[in-house]
Amino acid sequence: MNNRNITFKFSFTVILLSFAFFCSCGDYITEENSDELIFEDTVKAVTLNVGGELFSIPSPIQSASLVKNSGVPYNKQILNSGNKCGQYASDFTKALNLGVYGADLAYISMHNQSQDALSYLAATKTLADKLGVSSAFNQTTISRIKNNISNKDSMLVIISLAYRASDEFLKTNKRTEMSSLILAGGWLESMYFSLKTYNQKPIKELRFHIAEQKQALTSVIKLLTSHNMPEANDLLNDIEKLTLIYDNVITNYKYVEPTTDEAIKTTYINSTTEVIINDAQLEKISEIIFQIREKIINTKA
Amino acid sequence: MKKNIKNIIFCSCLILIHINSYGQCDSIANLCSKHIISQFISDGQSYRSLLLNSEETAEFHTTFFGETTYRLAACSGKTDRNLIFTIKDQDDHILFSNKKYANAPYWDFKVKSTIVCTINAQIDPSKNAGSGCAVILIGFKQK
Repeated sequence: MNNRNITFKFSFTVILLSFAFFCSCGDYITEENSDELIFEDTVKAVTLNVGGELFSIPSPIQSASLVKNSGVPYNKQILNSGNKCGQYASDFTKALNLGVYGADLAYISMHNQSQDALSYLAATKTLADKLGVSSAFNQTTISRIKNNISNKDSMLVIISLAYRASDEFLKTNKRTEMSSLILAGGWLESMYFSLKTYNQKPIKELRFHIAEQKQALTSVIKLLTSHNMPEANDLLNDIEKLTLIYDNVITNYKYVEPTTDEAIKTTYINSTTEVIINDAQLEKISEIIFQIREKIINTKA
Repeated sequence: MKKNIKNIIFCSCLILIHINSYGQCDSIANLCSKHIISQFISDGQSYRSLLLNSEETAEFHTTFFGETTYRLAACSGKTDRNLIFTIKDQDDHILFSNKKYANAPYWDFKVKSTIVCTINAQIDPSKNAGSGCAVILIGFKQK
């Protein structure tokens, strides 16, 4: 019996020491002279897999760029007011609106609106702090954004890196549902200001960009359904209405062999896609997106 | 009894190695981020998958929008060139594979017209990657 106890204690000690050796905790640190956030060391990471698949959501910056190029003047009124950041009570609404504010920051930055950028940065930081991702929007990052406030390109790089850091942090800390909500919020807001701008000035670039969102929509739905979030049911029901419309958007894809320039590590994707969307479909997409967006930004839950 | 203890220790070590692989994901993401240079804007996401062996594949679907240049960085382990990634179109044509270029850790794609792609990644079996975590980062710049 004594031998058995000693053996058990020895085995347990080996396991405990091995655990201590293999696992370590860490924190984010920032390099002084870099615009990148780096990790010192980490707790266990989590993969964002759904049945072996990962999902990609387009960056709101791409939509914001098209909106800017449309020539429609900057309009702060279409954005979600930064003053609302304090009204979001649950992590669910905070995460969605953190994504919304990220898209708004992209819109603001594209239009070089420094003053608004500062106030939206404050709103973003408030929500990030409340969600526990303040490390992604820490004082160093905020300072860098402020120092580059008049440089659109640098602003966009730094903001997108902060959002990526937030994404990584949430995944590392097993809060992938928050990561998914932030991405969904950003996509919905970028669809909103794209549609808003298109309604004002119906240029083909925006029309096609809106029509090309079918894969993004599929990804958003799969991301949201991959988590056990009863509070997302209403949102999902609304978003899934878009599927019925996008299923009828015509896409004609033609493969053309790509060409590669190895010296500059570049491949030219020459294939083409033609999308055909009619005004009724666009109108219906607008209606649904606007409704969803209103619910997200005006909730006090 | 001795055999049972040995089995317990062996299983525990396997679990701990698994946990260790997860922990290295963040270090790999950090190393990988250096390939997305400042001319490229991050898409705001970090794609990660734990691949337990070289037969497993991580897969995701994405849209590459037209008139845009994308940079895709793919990493696993503590050094470059451990991860093979392949990009296919919706009809399963292979658009690119870094395997043809010594598992290049990053590559640029100039996209003429919007295209929906599937990106697959797997650990090169011939490399001792030291980790089963696959990390992919995407950046873009407008033409």
